[in-house]
Amino acid sequence: MTQGYWVILRTEIFSLFISPATYVSTFYFLALLGVGFRFFIESFPATNWILPPLSSLALGLLFGAPALIPFLTMRTIAEERRLGTLETLMTAPVDAVSIIAGKWSASYFFYLLICCGAYSYPLLVCIIFPSQAESLGFLKPEHWIGGFVFLMSFGASFCAIGIFSSSITRNQMVAGMLSFSLITLYLAIMAFSYGEPTKIDEFRSYDDLFAMVGGSLHRGLDKIQFFALGVLHIPTILHQLIVVFFFLSLAKLQVEKIRH
Amino acid sequence: MSAETKPLPIIEVLNLKKRYGLIQALKGISFSVGKGEIIGFLGPNGAGKSTTLKILSGLIPADSGEAKVCGVDLAEEGGEVRNHIGFLPENNPLPEELRVIEYLHFRAMLKGLRGSRKRDRIRIALDICDLERKVSERKIGNLSKGYRQRVGIADALLTEPRLVILDEPTIGLDPRQSAVTRKMMERLRGEVTFLLSSHILSEVEACCDRMIILSHGQIVTEGTLNELQEEFINRTIFEVIALTDRMSLQKSVREIDQTCELLQDEPVDVSGKKRFIFSTEKGEVVAEAILRYLVKIPDLRVFEFQIERPDLETIFLRATKKNWEENDLLGKRSRRFKIE
Repeated sequence: MTQGYWVILRTEIFSLFISPATYVSTFYFLALLGVGFRFFIESFPATNWILPPLSSLALGLLFGAPALIPFLTMRTIAEERRLGTLETLMTAPVDAVSIIAGKWSASYFFYLLICCGAYSYPLLVCIIFPSQAESLGFLKPEHWIGGFVFLMSFGASFCAIGIFSSSITRNQMVAGMLSFSLITLYLAIMAFSYGEPTKIDEFRSYDDLFAMVGGSLHRGLDKIQFFALGVLHIPTILHQLIVVFFFLSLAKLQVEKIRH
Repeated sequence: MSAETKPLPIIEVLNLKKRYGLIQALKGISFSVGKGEIIGFLGPNGAGKSTTLKILSGLIPADSGEAKVCGVDLAEEGGEVRNHIGFLPENNPLPEELRVIEYLHFRAMLKGLRGSRKRDRIRIALDICDLERKVSERKIGNLSKGYRQRVGIADALLTEPRLVILDEPTIGLDPRQSAVTRKMMERLRGEVTFLLSSHILSEVEACCDRMIILSHGQIVTEGTLNELQEEFINRTIFEVIALTDRMSLQKSVREIDQTCELLQDEPVDVSGKKRFIFSTEKGEVVAEAILRYLVKIPDLRVFEFQIERPDLETIFLRATKKNWEENDLLGKRSRRFKIE
């Protein structure tokens, strides 16, 4: 069945490369990000930003993800369901896991390509203005690696949310809007969750329950401070992997429903 | 052929049941199909044809019963048997943005074909389906319905399947396009087993070795056209074109067969001659004996004589009508029971 995964991955990547919507969204996204990054590094000496300036790029990509990810994922399953080609796909010796994993991997691959495109801005600064790049700390490889791993882990879960949204509807616009809403909500929970996670034996009220359940989300975005300095925060990576597994499992169940 | 040496049937279905919510789509059907047979799968809308075909293609599972393809139970296998099955679903959904050749490459790779074998099989499938090079370079979204159906059939034939399931392959096609499908089946007759579901009965009659007729989730009858004709039409109809009056012709006919009946009150005029239609319960042998007797009588001036065989449409209507009536009776009984 792994042959099915590779074939679907290849075809999905091909579909993303021939889709005008992908190019348009990628162009606007990278253009806006580039302009924002330029103004940020220009005004950086005057700001009280405590993290390395490279982390601004990771945060820009992260907060732009709700607008970008739907363009990469909304067509994947919704369009197949609308056309009925998902049924045809299931008549080949390929299982739902290969279909979901293949489609998710293709979106994720394209997302990483866009991240690479975004990281070309500081790379250009390093090549064209090496002294300024040094003063901004762009020459420290751990900042690059940490920021990129941060984006990789969050991008994986965002793509999984997008694939799940696409699996529950036949309308790609609905899938896109649902994906945007879920990713925004997920970011909001991580951005506004506060307080220490409650241990099970300290559970007394509903507030404690919420804090306990959301414990792993606790100040999720604040973890950028580790990644920005090149420290790989393993609980955050594991948390994102759980989110990936959860949403892809839901999408798999949704695709398998076609068999019944 | 003895029982021990008899080859395994390609399809073996035993007491297959499937329910969608409150609707019992299949009520325990059983049949088997041998290698190289072309089977017409007939039935009114909602009879359970597409459900059976989807189960046999491995797309959906049955609730109970056994469905074996090439000796492998579909409920237990891991998907490999699907390499031996080509399936053209109803409406034939295809990705619009891909070119024909790209789509066939994608499907071939999904089915495990690689390298030169993949290229060869694609070329052969394109050739069998009369898809010339120019068409294979076009986007599927820009193709006519006929060509789209051919692409679907080419996909079904990619892996040299032992069984090809075609669900309404010629629906909405013009006669020329339908002929391409028939030609394809004729070309592969004997090598590949075809299970063809269609509402175009003339087409099924022309190319199928055997028919299975479903109604209300049950098989109402199966057999060759001759067997079905014998089962459902127990009277032989024959027509005589002659230059005589009704009374003298009927009198002559009754000298051979007393039970023979003239079916019209008045004969139909055919270019100055008269056409009489008779019916007998005693079969074609008696009908032929009547002909031999009539031509010996010069006064009757018989010009033409024809024994009519009932077509599949008549058989289909009778077979399914019987089932409809049974179901209706059951309904009435249950309603009556409730009133009592």
